[in-house]
Amino acid sequence: MSGSATIKPHAVKVRSTLLGLAVSDLVKASAVAIIALVIVSPLFLLLVASLKPDRFQILADMGSFRAFWVSDPSLQNYRDVATLDGSLPMGRYLINSMIILVITVCGGILINSMAAFVLAWGRIPGRALVLTLLIGLYIVPQESIVLPLLSLVTKVGLTDSFTAQILPWLASPLYIFLLYQFFIQIPQEIYDAAVIDGASPLRIYWSVFLPMSLPALATVAILLGIETWNQYLWPLMVTQTNWSRPISVGIASYFGHDSVYWNSAMAASVLMMAPVLLFYLAFQRWFVSSFISSAVKG
Amino acid sequence: MLSLGKRFLRQIGTASLASLGLLSATVMTEAGTLKVMFQGDPYEIQAISDAAKRFEQANSGTTVELINTPHDAYNEKFGSMASSNTLPDVIELDAPFLANYVWSGYLQPISGLVDQSLINDMTKSNVSQGTYPPDGKLYAIGLTDSTVVLYGSRKQLEALKIRIPKSVDDAWTKDEFEGALKALASSGVKWPIDLFRAYGTKTEWIPYAYEPILISMGCDLIDRAAWKATGALDSQACVDATTMMQSWAKQGWVVPQSAGQNQFYTEGRPAALAWGGHWFYAEASAKMGEDLVAMPLPKFGAKSASPNGTWIYAISKTSSDPALAGKFLSFMLTDKAYRESYKAHTGFPGLKSFAAESPTYADKGAMATAFEQASKSAVPRPPHPGYPTITLAFQVAMTNIFDGADPKTELAKAAKKIDDDIADNSGYAPFGK
Amino acid sequence: MSSQMTSALPIARSASEGRRKKRNNRLQEVAMLLPACLLIALFLLVPFISSFQIALTNQRLIPRPVPTRFVGLGNFAQVLSDPEFWTALLNVVRFTLMILPIQCGMALALALLLNQKLPFRNFFRGVFFLPAITSMAVVCVIWATLFQYPAGPLNQILSFVTFGFAGPIDWLGDTRFAMLSIVLLSAWQAYGFQMIVYLAGLQNIPESLYEAARLDGANSWQRFWHITMPSLRQTHIFVLIITTIQAFKLFVQVNILTQGGPRGSTNTVVQYMFSAGFVDQRLGLASAVSIILFLIVLVISLVQRFVMRDRP
Repeated sequence: MSGSATIKPHAVKVRSTLLGLAVSDLVKASAVAIIALVIVSPLFLLLVASLKPDRFQILADMGSFRAFWVSDPSLQNYRDVATLDGSLPMGRYLINSMIILVITVCGGILINSMAAFVLAWGRIPGRALVLTLLIGLYIVPQESIVLPLLSLVTKVGLTDSFTAQILPWLASPLYIFLLYQFFIQIPQEIYDAAVIDGASPLRIYWSVFLPMSLPALATVAILLGIETWNQYLWPLMVTQTNWSRPISVGIASYFGHDSVYWNSAMAASVLMMAPVLLFYLAFQRWFVSSFISSAVKG
Repeated sequence: MLSLGKRFLRQIGTASLASLGLLSATVMTEAGTLKVMFQGDPYEIQAISDAAKRFEQANSGTTVELINTPHDAYNEKFGSMASSNTLPDVIELDAPFLANYVWSGYLQPISGLVDQSLINDMTKSNVSQGTYPPDGKLYAIGLTDSTVVLYGSRKQLEALKIRIPKSVDDAWTKDEFEGALKALASSGVKWPIDLFRAYGTKTEWIPYAYEPILISMGCDLIDRAAWKATGALDSQACVDATTMMQSWAKQGWVVPQSAGQNQFYTEGRPAALAWGGHWFYAEASAKMGEDLVAMPLPKFGAKSASPNGTWIYAISKTSSDPALAGKFLSFMLTDKAYRESYKAHTGFPGLKSFAAESPTYADKGAMATAFEQASKSAVPRPPHPGYPTITLAFQVAMTNIFDGADPKTELAKAAKKIDDDIADNSGYAPFGK
Repeated sequence: MSSQMTSALPIARSASEGRRKKRNNRLQEVAMLLPACLLIALFLLVPFISSFQIALTNQRLIPRPVPTRFVGLGNFAQVLSDPEFWTALLNVVRFTLMILPIQCGMALALALLLNQKLPFRNFFRGVFFLPAITSMAVVCVIWATLFQYPAGPLNQILSFVTFGFAGPIDWLGDTRFAMLSIVLLSAWQAYGFQMIVYLAGLQNIPESLYEAARLDGANSWQRFWHITMPSLRQTHIFVLIITTIQAFKLFVQVNILTQGGPRGSTNTVVQYMFSAGFVDQRLGLASAVSIILFLIVLVISLVQRFVMRDRP
């Protein structure tokens, strides 16, 4: 066998360990860590700035490497910003954002996946047309619909409410399309077997397709979650008081009309990233091999 | 069965009592509810909220509903409220937009509603930014105003034997100014002047900060008698003014747009002079302390000119209780704690009494010359309903001119755009009559 | 496998009962599709259609005493004859062509990396996703400071790496580099999005395929090219179409950092629309722009779907 020198037989290789991890693994992890550091390094600016209580210092350091360094870090900005009442209660805004997030994601996953399932596996006519229409509607930029949407919402009296911030984004062409692409990959045999068993579409969707699509659902949860969390233009238009204002709009108040309050803005931005990071970490555990491969074999 | 019925009746009973209570509550609050739409920096939001609470305490039965609208989408919010007829009683607005809002029929004069003593207390500059030319009435008032000054480093200027003006009458002439730029450039300074191009290419800063140069050299964005732009904006004087500014950029004297906003006071001080707003004083003095000097804007032509204008308060025409709205404004603008907030953030005074309380702007203060400009050289941006078009057209023209385009062509293009818009709105009658 | 399915309903006993069940099933499907369609119709379709009507008038942002006139296709004519619009369109095409390989390439590479068995894998997955969580406004502030000319961090690194030979680059102020800078920061902020989609797609590929290939002696590259890539086909289609549409809608970062400059080199269609509608307050004109954009991108998406359709 030529090229035998390149084949490394598994069983024979002796693995040395360090801290219980194979050396090769540690090397791999270090390489990845370096890549990660390089890619994520710009975010250090954010972190460093949030630890500088003097906003003039932040301004003076901008644009040079001094922006990456803080000589005496302090948590003062966080203390100032994370309040539950007062005129700019970031704590309250955070809670509002979380309420909107949970309801939108839960509702969004259900509504979008149901629709995607019907578009992928349903038998009613016109599905292709509906799908094309949906993808087409995804093109419409938000900036061009906010004003008509705002007048619609005002007419119905829903300004400054949670409903107005949740309802328009529950269903989205993007996520229906995404789930559609996943659903059509599920083998025909699985669907046929369920139909032969006499299951109704709702049952097939709920008991068969959903459990197999955890990675896709996790994707929708994460992406919809982040999109909802970072929504800015619409909540800016629709909220008037602190009642249902999310943190993305709350931070806008730190961008004053003449100058920016970087100390508070940066700290609030870091606070804003924390919950959604945890949200992401929780859902990305669903990125494990789906049931499909085992189902096909069986 | 019977118990069910009883429970049902009891439920109806409680429901009706509750709704009655709700009804009476709504009736009560409608009697004295004031809706106030505003924007502001964090300290301003705090100041207004506290003042509103104190007003409620002083006037029992009154509720002040505050609508905090970040200035990012202010006009859009205003537009949607206007079209759905839900405009609040008190509206804060950016001064240049006053004419547009009054012409569109959304505001009513505040004289008679706000205390006369307060109106008399306004500086000349403040009055000019709140006045609507066709009827000469006052539609808005504010505690603060704004201005732009020329900042420099005392040590640096003295080292180069450049004279430091002591008052507006004493300001540099065009030759002195350009001479100073040249001297600074030869002395090895990276950029003699920072015009804060870093604020952006589509920003209100451009007409705000640069129109005074045009006015000082004897022309304007638009003729304020006939309300025509062609003949004013593309006149020889304006072409000369913008050519002069272009030459500064061509010679590399101006801080480029992508070099940031802190070049005047950051480590090494790459920029020697700064054409900055009054708000720039706080961050510059934090780094430069006593070395910072605020000089009046140069007198490029026959007269001095400086900008003004900030967010001011008006009362909507559809307000259900204008008297109450006026009362609120009078209360807030004289409220001690409210004023203290602004003083602590070096708010530029728009009321003479407030100026007297602000050491920074008083006679020996660091920004005394800045305040002098308010009474001696402040000119508001054109108070015309077509201002949104005027400002955008000038922003585009100025940006292109800095980039090297021919000033005459650019200004003519801008003037045409402005006049086209005026024609599109039937001359914005009664303007132009 | 059918034993896994719980048969809740008995098999139809007669033809009519079968037909009735079929009808109920179809009704159920309609009911499942309805909420999404209703919501999208009400909150996306209706406002968009109303902008059709506005596009035919000269309506302004703030209602004014002068009555709004019907101008027919006047707004469309004005837009299509404006060289600024065509520059903006060309710019988004350039942007799309540049960002597709960079952003999707990066996303796929990282998805492959983060799908392997790695120590601290979950932690790394979190770290690599951080830029996607950061709001665009913050991203712009950070990158503006990195891009600062002439002595910002990137320029200093550039000078260091080239031993002082390369002069500083005016990343956001030079017409040659502005669009590239926007591409860089956009790819950096958003690669996480495609990375997640690819990660999910990779989960669908059975390990058995890889095992078989390994036994056949295929190396990593061959396994990637002949197994991974084809299996990701549906994911590729989705990523291609969606990234293209997102790229055409480029707006926020341009609005914050360059406002379409320098000299229109970073102007985009949505930026042009925003400037016309929200700054210049000409709502009619802005609505016309959004409709034109819609039509252009619709055609492109349809072409993409057609080209990448499953051939029998």
